[in-house]
Parts: sequence; structure tokens; C-alpha cells
Amino acid sequence: MRDGDAGHALDATLARTMATSSAAAHPASSGQPAGHEALVRDLQQALGVDSVLQAPEDLIAFEYDATIERALPEVAVFPATTDQVAAAVRIAEAHSRPVVPRGSGSGLSGGAVPVLGGVLVVLTKMNRIIEVDRVNRVAVVQPGVVNLQLQEALAPHGLVFAPDPSSQRVCSLGGNVANNSGGPHTLAHGSTVNHVLGLEVVLPGGRVVRFGGRLADMPGIDLRGLFVGSEGTIGIVTEITVRLVRAAPDVRTLVAIFDSVDAASEAVSAIIRRGLIPVALEMLDREIIRLVEPRIHAGYPLDAGAVLLIEVEGLAEGVEADAASVEEACGLAGAREVRVARTAAERDRLWEARKVGIGAIGAASPAFYLLDGVVPRTRLPEVMRGVMETSARYGFRVANIFHAGDGNLHPNLMFDPDEPGATERVLECAETIMRLCVDAGGAVTGEHGIGLEKRSYMEWIYSAADLAAMHAVRVAFGGADRFNPCKVLPGGHGCSVGHGAEALAVMRRGADSV
Amino acid sequence: MTTAASALDRLRHALPSDTERPPAHYALDGGTPAIAFAPNDPAEVATLLHEADEAGLALAPLGARTAAALGRPLARYDIALDLRPLDRVIEYVPEDLVITVQAGVTLATLQATLREHGQYLTVDPPPGDEVTVGGMLASARSGAWRGHLPAARDLILGMRVALPSGEVVHSGGRVVKNVTGYDLHRMHTGALGAFGVIVEATFKLAPLPAATRTLLLTAADIEACGALARRVWDAGLAVRAIAVLGARAADAAMLAPVPCVLVEAAGSVAAVERTLRELRSAATGAGDASVETWARLRRLAAGPGATVLRLGVPPAEVETTVAALERAGLTAWAHLAAGSVIARGEIAAPDVEALRRMAVERGGFLQVEVASAALREAVDPTGAEERTLVEALKRQFDPRGTVNPGRRGPGL
Repeated sequence: MRDGDAGHALDATLARTMATSSAAAHPASSGQPAGHEALVRDLQQALGVDSVLQAPEDLIAFEYDATIERALPEVAVFPATTDQVAAAVRIAEAHSRPVVPRGSGSGLSGGAVPVLGGVLVVLTKMNRIIEVDRVNRVAVVQPGVVNLQLQEALAPHGLVFAPDPSSQRVCSLGGNVANNSGGPHTLAHGSTVNHVLGLEVVLPGGRVVRFGGRLADMPGIDLRGLFVGSEGTIGIVTEITVRLVRAAPDVRTLVAIFDSVDAASEAVSAIIRRGLIPVALEMLDREIIRLVEPRIHAGYPLDAGAVLLIEVEGLAEGVEADAASVEEACGLAGAREVRVARTAAERDRLWEARKVGIGAIGAASPAFYLLDGVVPRTRLPEVMRGVMETSARYGFRVANIFHAGDGNLHPNLMFDPDEPGATERVLECAETIMRLCVDAGGAVTGEHGIGLEKRSYMEWIYSAADLAAMHAVRVAFGGADRFNPCKVLPGGHGCSVGHGAEALAVMRRGADSV
Repeated sequence: MTTAASALDRLRHALPSDTERPPAHYALDGGTPAIAFAPNDPAEVATLLHEADEAGLALAPLGARTAAALGRPLARYDIALDLRPLDRVIEYVPEDLVITVQAGVTLATLQATLREHGQYLTVDPPPGDEVTVGGMLASARSGAWRGHLPAARDLILGMRVALPSGEVVHSGGRVVKNVTGYDLHRMHTGALGAFGVIVEATFKLAPLPAATRTLLLTAADIEACGALARRVWDAGLAVRAIAVLGARAADAAMLAPVPCVLVEAAGSVAAVERTLRELRSAATGAGDASVETWARLRRLAAGPGATVLRLGVPPAEVETTVAALERAGLTAWAHLAAGSVIARGEIAAPDVEALRRMAVERGGFLQVEVASAALREAVDPTGAEERTLVEALKRQFDPRGTVNPGRRGPGL
């Protein structure tokens, strides 16, 4: 890479200390950074007094996302229009302040935590569904629209926005774009990037640009595809044009019950090996079943080692054949029983268990660390054995609830942070599991993002030249230093390097939705 | 072209002698390079790129040359980089439905390898399976399956790219779901080499459908064909292609010269049977068509001998667009789900501009897919794009304009 900053950013990884980070992250309580009043005045003038929060007591709600890493922004702004977003960005830059975009704050990698303070741009006011074009299967939305809100608006048209993160009741579509979010149905339909046609973006510096359009395969450089998943480091999305898919005419939901995670993992590989791609293929292990079944009464047997929640869809005729094939594959892999949901209510209860699973862990344990790793699907059985062995070796209860068909693991390590040394051990355990994923040919995040949490793991996957190329993109967009600083790429001025400190960012505060 | 002999000698010195090729074999738009190489591996590609960059020479990466008339004519052309020797399958794990191949592998070889395991890559770009993987990605063209199945850009799990700096960088990996870092591979897809040379890609695969059948449906006129096509699309049937053909396009595809709808059913045997039943009852006229018809359309969409345009319009307006183009004397057909309309014939620059305005007004676009160098000089082949950012990226990745200079327009 030719950009001089790239090498510097990587070297900086070694030079920074945690102390500089925490000092920067928490402005001294005795006073605000220099120029604070002028910054606030300019923001208030551009956005209106009601759209700017600056009192520490008002900002506390915005110091963290769904992780436990905290940092107070200096100011939080709530723009209602693209022009106001652009104005906030320009003002922040004029005052040399970092800019951090934020949607619903349900992120799982610390991506919306303003680690260096600055101006937090909260997009929740921009929550309008601008257009649903049923005939051409396109919708235009603002970034603050919640995923489920769009799904509900589409349902009467028989259309679906395919990405369906388990946090869809709260997560915003702007956040889905920033993180290239997945969900259970990613297996058949792909992640967010496969469903975004066009974007309106405010770049670092405040210029408003459009990428893509209302159709697939727009000619020219695919800046749309590059932007999706960039985690708020190269711009703020202010309008999203999405592709809609027709709801399938027929759906069948199956539950295959196994005595062990091992047998269920083998069944996943066996299904894929058959050349059968269900629309969803999820695993819930014994810990999860025991936590959720008493609450949901979906009919998951409490003595099962693991269950697979499998969905096939399409024309009734094809669904029939696929369901039979899935059932056979599970039987051969040692399923003790395969059940088919008979009614929509039964199906909804089975999925409800999947959706409340993470929350149930939060209710059952003082704290837990939700991991996100991904492995080739054929390596699932051995990696899952490694996950179980590693957690046992470190002495942690582990609950697994994840997108097995994608090879996308979510082990949840349950621990008590008050127990001396537990936090350090859980981090070590998590790192060992991440290593297992990478050693099996996988990656360190399938859908939650790098954010703050996994910056230091980037070097496990990418060479210095690879990272320099990514940094070059950030430089080209003008977001190198001040746009969501300390996220995605290692290094950066004033950013900490402590593996522990960053990984800690994603230990969950407790229960709510994921 | 005059290129300093000393610079060429340095290139010869940097690469094994068996990689040099006769430059005359690599003429583009009438221009012949001063020297040509066909390196054996990505490292040699990177070396050549670096040497070219250092010497200030312009290099054009080439595969099957099926998209050579896409984009502006080259501003400079000193070195031909023939990527066809990069033809290895690096890794194929059928059980994972994932394959990693080098850029010079043809789609035909790739599909044949996959077919042995009952799998395929869900792409059908023009003009046919002779395209190389690298060319297919750099040109980002889709066919009839687009809108029903993921396109090449959505199937890339990882990529290796040789940069003018001499480095080979990678993004992504070989897992089907991955958000580890920026998706640099998306920036190179459709870039015509603007930021480097694709040397390797990893793809997500799909199982081959158990059954496929092509059906030809007819209706009173082109408007009725459009409405019929949309009814088929909305019916949730097991289809992977729906095309609306004008009378001339039907004729060129060796069908009866009347407007028609071509549908490919694909899926399990039972689902395809049900789909065919419903299609036959939905249309006033229905009959079997040869699968070859699709291959003919693919060839016509990028074949030589005429100017070819690709317009993007909303799916609701494909038939009116096809009708307007055919009235203007062109041969036109549309792939409904992608809103992609192909027009073929003789067409002058002002008419291209007028058609582009019409498409852009409808939220779409026009790209010149095949045209003479003169027409590609007179009209911007791709149309408007976010040029400031593209230039900023170019400055980062290829500041001296070593790869395909001018192909994406002046300075790019």
C-alpha cells in the first residue's frame, strides 16, 4: 500500500497503552474538553436545542451498546434529516471531534461505543419507511427503522426483507447495513449485503453521496457492496434501498432431537453433504433447552443433548421432498426423533425458543460472554467438540445456540465476574475457542462484526499488507482517524491495544434480546 | 507504441523466459502491446505488476477476452498480462459447497469440476462459459438467472488480488458467512482492474437442481407478455429465469418471430412438474423450448457483430422498454427479475445518450456492453458514478495508473 499512514497505524498497535484510551474515553469530570461550549452551540444551531444532549446524566444511556464496554460521548445528537446528519458531521470535524454513528445500540462488538468521546450521531429519529414498491420488490427506508417494523409493513404484501437477526425486534436497518447482519435465514438468502440495492451516505467531511440504486448490477465500481459491513468507519448511512423477496408459498419447520451436540453436528454436515440447503438450520444445546423450555413450552425434550431447528420452504411439492430428505439424514446421523410443526402456532413457539435463548442465559447467569465464530461446515463436529472440551477445561458452563448450517457458532460462556480471576479466564477461554475456529479454516466473526472487540484478532486472519489495503479504503473515504475511531482495524491514534480490554467489550450486561 | 528497450529488458529479466508471449496475439482496439507475458502463478503476476509500475508502463490483464469491448478504450497499452495459465483449482471441498480457483480457470472448467459432485456456480454471464473467473468478476455481468439466484458478486467468499505495489492481498476467507474486515473483493468486482488484478477467488456453491425445463409462453402482444411474465414471477413457482423477448429477439434466438416469454423451471422433480402445469394453464400458448435458446441469448448479449447495450429499468417496465427498443429497429429482450434489458443492433452515440436518459429517469441505468472503440470514445460506457471516491480509491491502490489506464474513463 502506498499510503504512509497504513504502516504507522499498524506500528501504533504496539505503541498505545490502555491508559491513554481510558483517559480519552472518559473526559475528566471536572470539565469538558476545550471548546465544548462552542461545539454544543454549533450543533444546537444546526439541529435544534432538543436534538442535542450534552448533560452527563442524559448521556449515560448512550455510553454503551449491547456490550459492557462503556465510554461517554461528549455530545449526542439526534438528526431528523440527511442534511442534519451532514451538518453534525461537518461541525464535529470543524471542532476536531470523533464521530460515532449509532442505531438502536444492540450491536454485539462494541461498534457504537464512543471510545474516544466526541459526537455520537444517534439515528433513531430517522425511522420512516419511505416507500414499499410491491411490483418491483423494492423498499426505501431510513436507517432508524427497526428490522421487525419493516417486516410487519411488508407482510400484507407477501414480501420479506430476508435478513432477520435474532435481535430484529430492536435492531435498526442502519445497523444491519453497518454490520452486514445475518440471521437464521442467511443460510438460504445471504446476509444484508445481498439485499441492499442502494444507499445514501454521509461521508466523513459531510458530503452526501449515493451508491447503487434501485436495481441489481448497477454499472460502475460497487461502492454499495464495499460500504455494507464497514461498521460506521467510512460514513453514515442515511437512506437504504432494499431488495425484497416473495414469502415462500409453503414452509415446513422440523425439530430433530439428538443425544449429543456431536451427533447433531454430524447431522448438519450430513444434510449439507446431500446438497440440501434448508432456509434455516439452527442448533440449540442441552443448556439452552433447559433454560428456555420451562418458559416457552415449545416441546423441546429436557433430556436431549441438542436439537436442530430446521426449516425448508418453497412449493409444497419440493418442501415435501426436502423435509423427507432432512428427516432421513437426521435419522442416519442418530436423531432419536424428528418432529414436524403441525400448525403455525407450533412453528412460532419453536422459533420463539430460538429468539429468547440468549436472554434466558442472561437471566440464569450473573454474566456471560457471547462468542461469534465461523468454521467450514464440515469442520463443525470437531470444532464443537473443541468448544465443549475447552469450556470444560476452563470450568465454565457453556450454552450453544447458533446458525449451524452456516458453520456460524455462538458459544455463550457463563461466569460470575465477582469471582476472582473469572473474567480473565473467560477471556482466555474465548480466545482459545476463536483460535480453534481460525485453525479450522474459519474466521473470527460471522455476523456480529469486529467493532472494538476483535480488532486484535484481525492479525490472525490478515497480513500486514491485507490490513494496509483495508486501511487504504478508510483513507480514501476520508475516515482514517476520526470516523468511528478504534473500530475494525488494529491501531489508530489513542486507541488501546489490550486484548483483554477489547474482548471484554462484548461481555453481555445481562439479559435482553439478541 | 514506443517503449524503451531497457524497460522491456528489465521486465524480461524479472520473469522466467518461458512466460513471454508474442505481443501480436494481444491486440486490443487495434493497439498492440510492446511485450506480453503469461505468468505461471500469482507471485509472478505481482512481480510483473510491480515492475510495470516502477517503469511507468501500462498493463492490461486479459483472460478469455470476452469483455474486451467493455469500458473505454485503453489510454495506454504497453504490456499484455495473459492470466490463462493461472488455471488451477486450489481447493474444492464439495461437502462444504465451497471452491477456491485461480483467475484463469474458465467457467466451463469450473462448472465441469462441480458437476461431478452435483454442484454448480449459479451464474450464466454473457457470452458463455468460455469466460474466465477473473474476467467474469472484473466485468460483473449477469445473465438470465440474476434476480432468481445470487450473482457472482454475491457468491464470492474470498479473493486474492495482485496490486501494483507488488503485494498480493486477500480479503474474506472460505466460510459462507464472514464479516471479518472490509469486503475488499466487492470493490474489485466490476472494476475492470481499476484497483489491481484478481488472481484467485473462493465461491459459495449450490446443489444442481434435480430437474430443469424451459417453456416458451406466448400472449397476444408484448404488453400481454410482460404482464404474463410478472404473473409467473409472482406465483412463487420453482423458476430460475423469466425472459421477455421482442419479436426480433425471438427470431434471433431461433424461435417464432413473435413476442414471447421464456421461462426456465428448476428444482426438485415434483416442484418442476407442478411449475410446468401451472405455466401451461396460465398462458394462452405454451410449448417446450430448447435449453439452447438460453445459450443463444447469452451469446447475443455480448457477441461481436453489433453494438450491445444493457439497460436497467424497473421490472414493471421491461416490456414497454423492449417494445420501444424494437420499434427503434433494435433486437431487444429482458430478464424480468433483474430489470435487465438487452438491446442489440446499430445505434449512434446520440441515441445511446437518449436511451440512457430514459433509463435513468426510471431509476435505472444504461451500460454499453459491446461497441466499437469510436462509440466507446463518444459515449461514457458505464454512465455516471461517484467519481470523487473512485478517484480517491484509485490514488490509494494504483496511483500511477498502471492497470488498464483510461478503461474506466479519463484518469481511471
